[in-house]
Amino acid sequence: MPDTVSFGIPALDKAIMNGIPKGYTILCIGPPGAGVELFAKRFASASSGEENVTYFSTSERDEDVIKTMEDFGWNTDLKIVNIGTMYYEKVLAKHLEVSKYRLEGLTMRDIRQYKLQGKQEDDTNHNFLTTLTYEISKLDPPFRIVLDSMNFFLEYYNHKEVLSALRTIKAHTQHNGGVALVTLVKGVLDSHIESGIEEIVDAIIELERLRDGFEFKRNLLIRKVRNHPEKTGILAYTIDEKGISAKSVG
Amino acid sequence: MASDDDKSATIPVDRERCVTGIEGLDNILNGGIPRGNTILFTGSCGTGKTTLSLEFLVHGAIAGENCLFVSVTETSDKLMNNVIPYDFFDESLIKKGTLVFVDMPVIYERLGMTEMELSLEDVDSIVKAIGNLVDELKIKRLVLDSVTSVCYRLKTEEKIREFILKIGKTLSDRGCTSMLISEISPSAERYSLYGVEEAIADGIVLMGNLERRGDLLRTLQVVKMRGTNHSRAKYVLDLTPAGILLVPLLKGGSGGGTT
Repeated sequence: MPDTVSFGIPALDKAIMNGIPKGYTILCIGPPGAGVELFAKRFASASSGEENVTYFSTSERDEDVIKTMEDFGWNTDLKIVNIGTMYYEKVLAKHLEVSKYRLEGLTMRDIRQYKLQGKQEDDTNHNFLTTLTYEISKLDPPFRIVLDSMNFFLEYYNHKEVLSALRTIKAHTQHNGGVALVTLVKGVLDSHIESGIEEIVDAIIELERLRDGFEFKRNLLIRKVRNHPEKTGILAYTIDEKGISAKSVG
Repeated sequence: MASDDDKSATIPVDRERCVTGIEGLDNILNGGIPRGNTILFTGSCGTGKTTLSLEFLVHGAIAGENCLFVSVTETSDKLMNNVIPYDFFDESLIKKGTLVFVDMPVIYERLGMTEMELSLEDVDSIVKAIGNLVDELKIKRLVLDSVTSVCYRLKTEEKIREFILKIGKTLSDRGCTSMLISEISPSAERYSLYGVEEAIADGIVLMGNLERRGDLLRTLQVVKMRGTNHSRAKYVLDLTPAGILLVPLLKGGSGGGTT
């Protein structure tokens, strides 16, 4: 059994430790448009076939995730836990309902209906962070987790709770020899929250998009590999219809 | 009594009455509560406020008026069990929809009020929702038990004032005679917990406990009632299966009261 698994981008595997060491939690960070979500999907599709892959999506529908992966010809053998859809159903749909009652008024039917529904489900204070850690705790090793993205949780929950959940995910991944990739949009959060996340993860991959004349130049910064500072470095990457490829520069 | 005479000279006596059906209370009020009034029923726990208000609604429902009980603290299922033992209670009133119970927490939930402290906008939404129900069900009598529990979530005097004023206006505009139940501690020197409710209500009925010769008597006193002449004497209140009985305190007290 090898001690590493593939990211799905050969040059990146080679640059890190000839693959991602089992037990690693990786942060993929970048500005909007850099391709962070696509990296997450590439990582999810690169499993060896033995790994249980679970993809936590917070902003795309299941079919969008699958469609994107199919477009690039990637393996779609994975389970999607759609936190974004759950959030819509349990919170946003309720907000819409509330605004309707506030503006159009309340009828006896609405009240009776609530009583019928209310007895069936009691989820008024749904905590999606708990859902996330619970789903992860249920995974059998070997597993591969993708969480796209952390921003959703940081937007709705106290950052200390989110960091604590990330530590839980990391500990579970480490203990079971799985791998996890979490994504974060750069520049949205206070730098101390970003640093807090960067401190917990084992490796950091930052995507950078720079304008060069009439085109974008894309760089992949391996900013952190735990205990292996010599592995840090910069690769150039391109995204085309065949997917993501990277090569060393300089 | 002189003060009562002064009042009667200035108050028109021809306002339509909402007969409470509680004989003693109707006598005290010279025929009932002036229709459309919002009355604060105030007292410490165990003084019979909820029981009295339920009886007020049951009598109204029997008389063919649609009645609504908005319960904040207790669930309506539990409350219904309290009215069933009464001789005069008829279950068909609920089946026909003449007597309706609504739980305030359902209204809070429907309007998305998950925060403990409610905003001024929330006050408007609650009042509007109650107004909607009164319109839809053509409610003529309403009880809010208790207004103190709602005020507890409003926190500031400004919001409490806004709530009482608006709910009072909404209900009286619809010709609905209402009882707002208010909880106070036995030692309180005012009629409402926040002091605002009592200034705004059209009437105040004070309910209390009085210890006499080793017995704890329930008492009732109409302190204020716009639109009618009324007695301001203290009465002893007795809860019986036939309903509430009221007798003047002196006679009731000397007779040993409720034993």
